[in-house]
Formats: sequence, structure tokens, C-alpha cells
Amino acid sequence: MIHNDPIDPTGSDCDDALASLYQYLDQELNTASSETIRAHLDECHGCNGRFDFERRLKTVVHDRLSEDVPPEFLDRLRQALSDEQQPTVG
Amino acid sequence: MADQADFQDDALQYSRQLYSAAMRMTRNPSDAEDLVQETYLKAYRAYHTFEAGTNLKAWLYRILTNTYINKYRKDSRRPSEVDLGDVEDLYLYRRIGSEASAEASRTTEDRVLDGLVESDIKAAVESLPENFRLPVLLADLEGFSYKDIAEILDIPIGTVMSRLHRGRKAMQKALWEYANQRGLLPEGAEKP
Repeated sequence: MIHNDPIDPTGSDCDDALASLYQYLDQELNTASSETIRAHLDECHGCNGRFDFERRLKTVVHDRLSEDVPPEFLDRLRQALSDEQQPTVG
Repeated sequence: MADQADFQDDALQYSRQLYSAAMRMTRNPSDAEDLVQETYLKAYRAYHTFEAGTNLKAWLYRILTNTYINKYRKDSRRPSEVDLGDVEDLYLYRRIGSEASAEASRTTEDRVLDGLVESDIKAAVESLPENFRLPVLLADLEGFSYKDIAEILDIPIGTVMSRLHRGRKAMQKALWEYANQRGLLPEGAEKP
């Protein structure tokens, strides 16, 4: 059985897809280009694996970068904005 | 034109995101709080100039970014143009996705992706030079479009794309090192 080398792209379709990998994952491609890549991913096991990994990594990065705002800071922030909204008269 | 009376309700919904970005920019909680507070006060004072119905989050990020650049970078107005060495595409994947079978590769990928903890991801982002860190934060933390990032950072869209591409590769290189420190890399994988 012939299967695609999982690491190195095997054809020009793979090169084209990989050149647009981030634009595809960032949803920056137009519908036609996106469809072309999706069709390639459906038939190319190697690229599907690459894209899938990058997509999962992007999600991991997103999910593990968030910080909770310290509640006491949020209180101070609200207070500072309220002070700004109601300047002391006189 | 936006009504200042609505400012708290409209703008504070983004405090978590702005604080998260500020933490990665300044790298410490005290400076992050100062930066977010200054951003909100500036935004409040300028709120009458904000065009209601346009992208409030992007507007707040623009103020945050400019405040950060002006306040915390002493040298120059624009981000210092630090270069990154040449890093291959698919840097992390190339080093972990080479198991014999698809199942084995998937297992390794899962182990690495699950095993990298928050502090690894944060440190990897913080390790990026500023001109790469800001686009990566805006895209991956916030999901801004390239066009929004270009406007927030006041750089051309092509520059956004190339910095994002190169910044992500450099981040993967840092993550590879953390994955190795945590013993997540497979036997026989290339190690840092």
C-alpha cells in the first residue's frame, strides 16, 4: 500500500495547500480557495494530518493564554471609571 | 457617536481579554493592571469619538497596543525590528509526527498537546520579540482578522501575515523545548 509520507509534502497540491495553511486556519481565504484546500485535505492523508495538528495547536494556544482578571483589580477599575465619570465639583 | 454613560457596560465586557493580552505584553501583573487601567481611562475620555456600531474590541485593542508601545518601550515609536532565525515550517509537527503509524503519531501529538501546560504556552509567547508577539497575540488569543491586526498595529497586511507566520514558527520551537523538558517527546525524536 502506498501512503503519503506524513512529514514531507509529496506533490504540488501539497505545496499549494501548505503555503496557505495559516490563511486557511485563520479563515482568511475566500470560499473558492478554501474549498480547494478542503478538497485536497479530503484526499491527502499527509496534509490532513499536518493541518489537523496546526489547527489543534492553535486551539491549545488560544485556550491556555487567557488570564482571569483579579476581582480586586476589576473593582479598582470600575471605581476609577466612576471617579472619571463624576468629577468632584468645586 | 457613542454615549459615555454606556461606557462601563459596553467596554468592561472585554476586560478579561485586554488583561490577558496585557499580561503577555508586560509579563507581570502589576504592569498589566496599570496598562489596562490606563487603556480604559483613555478610552473613556475618547469614547465620544468612537463610532457606535464599529468594532469596539478592536478600538480598545488599538488603544491598549499604542499605550503599551508608548509607555513600556523606551526606545522608539515602532516595535524594534528584531529578526528571528530561520525556522522551518511545521516545526513542532515535523519533530513529533514522524511515528511509524498514524495511530502512534496521533498518540504522540495528543501527549504533547495535552502535556504543554498554560505556563509553557505563555512563556513561549512571551519569548517572542515584540514585533512578532503582538500579531500572534492578536490572532491566536483574540482571533482578530488580518485586516483588524493591520489596523491595530498600523502595519501593512502583508507584514501581519509574515510576522504571524514567523512568530508562530518561533513559538513552536520554544514549545518543542518545553515539550522536551516535560518528557513529552517520543523516543528517537530530535531533541533540543
